[in-house]
Amino acid sequence: MKMSVQVFVSFLLTAAVVLAVSFLLILMVGSSIPLSVTSFMRGIVGSWYAFSEVLVRATPLILAGLGVSVGFRTGFLNIGAEGQLYMGAIAITALGVYAPNLPAPFMILLAIVLGFLAGGLWSVIPGILKARFGLSEVINTIMLNYIAINLVGILVRTLLKDPSYPYPMSPMLPASASLFPLLPPTRLHAGILIALATAGGIHSLMFHTSAGFRMRAVGVNKRASLCAGISVTRNIVLSSLISGGLAGVAGVCEVAGLHHRLIEGISPSYGYLAIIVALLGGNRPLRIVFSAIGIAALQVGSMSMQRGAGVPTSIASIIMGLLVVMILARKQLFRCKGV
Amino acid sequence: MEVTTLAAASAFLAAVVRMATPIALAGLGETISEKSGVINIGVEAIMLSGAFFSFIGVFTTGSILIGLLCGMAGGVAVSMVHALLSIRCKADQTISGLALNFLFLGLTSFLFLMEFGKSTTLPSIPVIRAMRIPILSRIPLIGEALFHQDPFVYTMLALVLILWILFYKTEWGVILHAVGENPRSADTVGIRVNRVRYLACAANGVLGGLGGTYLAMVKLGFFMENLTSGKGYIALVAVILGRRNPVGVLCAALVIGAAEALQIRLQTMGTAIPSQAFTMLPYLVTIVVLFFSIGKRNDPSALGVPYERDKR
Repeated sequence: MKMSVQVFVSFLLTAAVVLAVSFLLILMVGSSIPLSVTSFMRGIVGSWYAFSEVLVRATPLILAGLGVSVGFRTGFLNIGAEGQLYMGAIAITALGVYAPNLPAPFMILLAIVLGFLAGGLWSVIPGILKARFGLSEVINTIMLNYIAINLVGILVRTLLKDPSYPYPMSPMLPASASLFPLLPPTRLHAGILIALATAGGIHSLMFHTSAGFRMRAVGVNKRASLCAGISVTRNIVLSSLISGGLAGVAGVCEVAGLHHRLIEGISPSYGYLAIIVALLGGNRPLRIVFSAIGIAALQVGSMSMQRGAGVPTSIASIIMGLLVVMILARKQLFRCKGV
Repeated sequence: MEVTTLAAASAFLAAVVRMATPIALAGLGETISEKSGVINIGVEAIMLSGAFFSFIGVFTTGSILIGLLCGMAGGVAVSMVHALLSIRCKADQTISGLALNFLFLGLTSFLFLMEFGKSTTLPSIPVIRAMRIPILSRIPLIGEALFHQDPFVYTMLALVLILWILFYKTEWGVILHAVGENPRSADTVGIRVNRVRYLACAANGVLGGLGGTYLAMVKLGFFMENLTSGKGYIALVAVILGRRNPVGVLCAALVIGAAEALQIRLQTMGTAIPSQAFTMLPYLVTIVVLFFSIGKRNDPSALGVPYERDKR
């Protein structure tokens, strides 16, 4: 990949501005910069536990981020990863509650497939509405987010409620429906392996198969694709299915690896963060892994910074928002061409 | 018995109008912006910024007027960043709006904690009270809902009328539609496309900021992190549902407001049905309505497309 000096400098300046703003904010709350930086770093690489927490948070971000990127490739702007993630979580919980006696390897595999389908369903609806009828997928995916989140709220109080507790949550799922822990004292689970394997798989799909080529072609130029005999409708629908499906798998992994039951609010807006992850990763699967780890580190680090230096965690949202704004404005701000 | 039912219905309608007001205000702003061709997913950020700055304005000066101005300025600040990104930098408008949502969710919460993080009591401001319009407010059933409300409700209702006239009966409306439907033709006849779009974005900021101001200065009287909690997205829904017609947007906001008011009533009544079932209603209604609107699309042709004069 070629990168001109100008582009490189513009990236450096973007980083400098974001860093300068962060330091300014730290000073504004009356904290010291060295203390903040050390507690930030201690939070993400201070111990094995700290680093494992980054990977724990990166897992759903990688999966959902990959999903969002597949949608972006055909021009399907999937803002609904949040809802799709919850649908995946509902799928594994429903399976675990209503068919608790399935044998172990079959159970988790079925859960992943069902999670993919549930998430995919939540995204293929706006996909079809966009591809066939030209309705805005942005609005529909946002609305489906709210419907899914409320659906979780209803289910944990009714059909999937644990009768032995007064709280809105599902019963514990059987052990066969869980992902094994990787480094036992930490919360790291096999979900990260699924996420990494998926990144490899999506890379192959998008860049080494004709199906991936067709999807990318539709995203680049719909008219040219149509003239070349590539069905625009079918490819948008296919990409929306994969897009939501991967977010659904993220939900399955969160339940199977961390919570082992369905509760409300299992996602601290992973679905929205996934959009930023996909954007920073340039919709390329392998870079998405790194951008997901970066965003996860920012979150985990800022929590440690709040504990250690008294800087509110909302600094993480500011940094992310500013980063995207700067990237969008980069070409104008630094007058550089290309990329 | 008769009298109490009537009183309850009348109070319910009044609540519906109050719930609908911030959504309608922000929705009307977004309507102007979308008609000019700029889609702003960042309504949430506009409202949040409006709520925060109006709260700060009233809290520090005690003046309602300054609070209003601060709220509108806060909204305009967000919408102008979005305008710069989408018009000048020709950035993807969906991504820009989303980034602004993150940025202002963080910023307002950060600044709020910085100012008040150490105080143990929730800082509050006096809320603006309802004004009763004599005689008219005694009309049974709808009197309370329409004529015993705070100034924001009256402003919102007036704006629906003003914007309807502006959109469909004046030259300005024609210009706005032209810029959103076919910017090249508009440019050819001498309309400054980007200037119209900047103005439309500013109007979006003012109205969205007012929507947020309403939440802080009338509904709650305090500020907290993520105070809007998705109202901005609901405003976007109202715009689609109302098909970018001011009266339609108001009706959509009323439907959503009714669902909200109903949900609060049912929660306090303690039914067996989880309240989420009612919270979900407006979104379900929207999707169903959108199904019916298939084939009758009325999106401005140039929605989300930056205008480039030197390109064909």
